[in-house]
Amino acid sequence: MSRPPNEIPTIWTTGFTDVFNTGTWRAATPVYAWRPSPCLVDCPIDNAIPRWIKYISEGDYQQAWLELVETNPFPAVTGRVCHHPCEGHCNREVLEAVVGINGLEHFLGDHALDHGWALPEAAEPVGKRVAVVGGGPAGLSCAYHLRRLGYQVTIFEARERLGGLLRHGIPEYRLAAQVADREIQRVVDLGVEVRTSTSVGDSQAFAQLREEYDAVFVAVGAQQAKRLPHLDAGAGAGRVLDGLDYLRRCIEGATRGLGERMTVIGGGSAAVDVARTARRLGHRVSMVALETRAVMPAQREEVEEALEEGVALFDGAMVTRVEATAGGLRLDCVKVQLDPTAPAGELRPLPVDGGGFVLEADVIVTAIGQDPNLTAFGGDIRVDAGVAAAAPDTAATTAAGVFAGGDAAGTSRFVSVAIGDGRRAAYGIAAYLGHPDAEVVVRHTLEQAVNRNEVNVFYFDFAERNEKAKAPVAERLTGFAEVNRVFTPEQAAAEAARCLTCGTCIECDNCFVFCPDMAVKKDDSKSDSPEGRYVILDQYCKGCGLCVAECPRGAVHLEQVTQ
Amino acid sequence: MEPFHAEPNYIIEEAPVFSSGHNACPGCGEALAVRYVLNSMGPKTVAVIPPSCIAIISGPQPYSSMRIPVYQTTLEASAASAAGIRRALVRQGKDDVNVLVIAGDGGTYDIGFQALSGAAERNEDMVYVCLDNEGYMNTGAQKSSSTPYLAYTTSTPGGKPNDKKDIAEIMAAHRVPYVATATVGYPEDLARKVAKAKEMRGLRFIVVLTPCLDGWGVPDDGAVRVSRLAVQTGFFPLYEVEEGERYAINVGPTPGWPVERYLETQRRYRHLTADQVAAIQAHVDHKWSLLHARAKVECVPMFQGAEI
Ligand SMILES: Cc1cc2nc3c(=O)[nH]c(=O)nc-3n(C[C@H](O)[C@H](O)[C@H](O)COP(=O)(O)OP(=O)(O)OC[C@H]3O[C@@H](n4cnc5c(N)ncnc54)[C@H](O)[C@@H]3O)c2cc1C
Ligand SMILES: Cc1ncc(C[n+]2csc(CCOP(=O)(O)OP(=O)(O)O)c2C)c(N)n1
Ligand code: SF4
Ligand code: SF4
Ligand code: SF4
Ligand SMILES: [Mg+2]
Repeated sequence: MSRPPNEIPTIWTTGFTDVFNTGTWRAATPVYAWRPSPCLVDCPIDNAIPRWIKYISEGDYQQAWLELVETNPFPAVTGRVCHHPCEGHCNREVLEAVVGINGLEHFLGDHALDHGWALPEAAEPVGKRVAVVGGGPAGLSCAYHLRRLGYQVTIFEARERLGGLLRHGIPEYRLAAQVADREIQRVVDLGVEVRTSTSVGDSQAFAQLREEYDAVFVAVGAQQAKRLPHLDAGAGAGRVLDGLDYLRRCIEGATRGLGERMTVIGGGSAAVDVARTARRLGHRVSMVALETRAVMPAQREEVEEALEEGVALFDGAMVTRVEATAGGLRLDCVKVQLDPTAPAGELRPLPVDGGGFVLEADVIVTAIGQDPNLTAFGGDIRVDAGVAAAAPDTAATTAAGVFAGGDAAGTSRFVSVAIGDGRRAAYGIAAYLGHPDAEVVVRHTLEQAVNRNEVNVFYFDFAERNEKAKAPVAERLTGFAEVNRVFTPEQAAAEAARCLTCGTCIECDNCFVFCPDMAVKKDDSKSDSPEGRYVILDQYCKGCGLCVAECPRGAVHLEQVTQ
Repeated sequence: MEPFHAEPNYIIEEAPVFSSGHNACPGCGEALAVRYVLNSMGPKTVAVIPPSCIAIISGPQPYSSMRIPVYQTTLEASAASAAGIRRALVRQGKDDVNVLVIAGDGGTYDIGFQALSGAAERNEDMVYVCLDNEGYMNTGAQKSSSTPYLAYTTSTPGGKPNDKKDIAEIMAAHRVPYVATATVGYPEDLARKVAKAKEMRGLRFIVVLTPCLDGWGVPDDGAVRVSRLAVQTGFFPLYEVEEGERYAINVGPTPGWPVERYLETQRRYRHLTADQVAAIQAHVDHKWSLLHARAKVECVPMFQGAEI
């Protein structure tokens, strides 16, 4: 059989399958998109944690620090004292333990101080002035972000120095004064005008500020100690102190003559700090807390450290009566249970039958919380349950141009919350003052975050979590040197390598490698895109989802095709 | 936000031989294997493909997904066809062309076996890749001699009563220059083995475990995970044998990972009783001890990743 010349036999191939449109088979399409990590969502300052940890793991500490101070100007402070809610839902827990984010922040903060790095410069002036009342973490954070937005800022601080509770509350064994001072100075160096020993003490002074400035941020903290009148009555003058007062006296060296035995009342950080400070000054210390150890508001680590340092803890108990005796004070106490039917946030102790016991002391220190003093502002702004009412996203109060944050405006009393409030206030103020490119800070939710079913931990080796080293107990009790040691560079590198970088594409190529249809392409013209440089080829993607399943970090997700 | 840049640009070197627009099911493990086999062999290759899913993936005539000459042979004759093509190339003085077979398990363990065994005995010069989806999947998921013990197929509705043939050991016993096992969950390992085989001469044999989504009962995005679990639980060891005796184990099982973690990901094992799972576990353990003895090494697991 012969065939005509030039005719291709039908069994020969004449073309390739890439002319076909197998993309029409698809019911879902992969989409590259940055997504928040749970740590970022849980961080009150919205720190871009996966990003700066990634830079640490690459050894680029300066870039890491610059990413961090985008939101938080005080990493050496928060690296020491933050209650680190960011570690609460960390996806690394799927493997062995959450990432030591707080330890890494501490490391980065100290590294920057050691190298004298300056914060990013203030922006070009926008010609408006903002007054900040209160120079604690909330006020300082707001001042920092306002400077970076180009506003002129004046801080009014009642005390002789800036810092708020960072300087006259949290003791030096947890936060050395020079650490706070140096981080604060960096903010001041951006050109913040500071008026210390200047209280905005009455409504007249406040009215004048509102007159002179385009906006005011009220961040006066919560300085008024709550008291227990039934103790004052039985004990006699000078035998019952409040915690903040005691800590301030310690800083000023005025604690002589209080006697040897101290009972601290309270279950929060402040109470633990009083107890541990007193141990360092030679007191025998007992501590009485309404809550049991498991649910005490103080952080677990600090309670453990207090016990190591010899504080005798009576948890789930309260003092019912105090009597002055020849030998000092007699404290009648009783074991309690907390009424589970009490409304959320309210502690209703129910004495346990036969749970009575007696403590002896020379002095009682109460640390059961503080209230803000808002007398100067209360006439203008609404005050709800003792704190300034402020919008969660902008910190705006009910008075035009007046914003409030930190302890003065909330009951979540943490340094990081104060810093986050200050940041949100700065952007809220900028939006109020019509800044051309400032947008109100948008908070993400855990529902939006990459969750543990969306990460693929096959791509990570098991690695133990690194913990900060601690000074030995005997050494701790001899003075006020810091207890926690910063990570070594080796620890920092190992800990940073544990982060899964949830929600942020790091161009690992997995999605590209695992596509059976070669429907993922790298497009170098997209190399500046935060989603990475990958594109899905519509013509070929069959929507199998392998790229999504094999992305270690949830940086690509499937969306249903709707037609 | 500045993006993060990864260097080097591509983690696996690929020549663009396999084309998009092919006919494999969405998420097909076999298509993924074809990608790394063809793209590692490169354009100077002639492929021989018997009837199988691979033949379907290679394209509806007159279109091809493979930018190389492909000869579709009969199910019995892949190795014989490849041997003939090699001899013709030699006769034409072409010594820079690779001859590659890509066949299914039915076409390798069963129907094409005598041609393969003969070619191996003569040490014919070819790379023979078996894409093992553990059954005659293209014709409706019947059992092959590669189907594992107790797995459901349409022709073993109660679970297959016999064990899976150990094709890697059978080929090693032919004392060919190179035998390797690989799977799509470890694409770098697969690509490396193909590239290594390409540089050798004589009969080089690679069996690649390729999950079949429909035949095994695996979701569309599951091929890679299941493939990896096969290795992590010790069900499918990744290893190489040179000259029939020099063994190297590449990836060992993750300590403490029971084979149940692999079995529970697939519908074809859904009917298993606890006793049957234990029997499969005992079997896997025994085969590892045999492999260790042959390899004369304790396997140090290379990777201990986890899975959720
Ligand atoms: C003992 C103790 C330990 C703590 N430990 C921790 C911890 O480990 N981790 C943690 O996250 N949080 C801790 N906290 C809570 C944390 O310190 C506060 O939540 C945080 O400091 C609040 O910041 P702020 O800026 O709102 O207020 P503050 O820090 O209280 O600062 C307010 C500032 O405003 C000034 N001011 C007040 N009134 C006026 C006025 N009328 N005019 C001008 N200035 C005024 C004050 O002098 C002060 O400097 C602790 C608190 C205490 C008391
Ligand atoms: C001698 C012979 N018997 C039966 C068939 C029908 N047939 C075509 S493909 C196929 C299945 C091959 O199975 P396998 O080699 O495992 O490839 P898979 O389809 O699973 O990829 C069968 C039985 C045939 N083509 N030739
Ligand atoms: S693994 Fe990293 S990015 Fe993910 S939640 Fe933990 S710290 Fe954040
Ligand atoms: S792996 Fe490929 S085909 Fe599958 S969804 Fe992703 S891009 Fe589409
Ligand atoms: S798999 Fe890797 S490259 Fe692809 S989106 Fe995820 S992080 Fe980016
Ligand atoms: Mg098959």
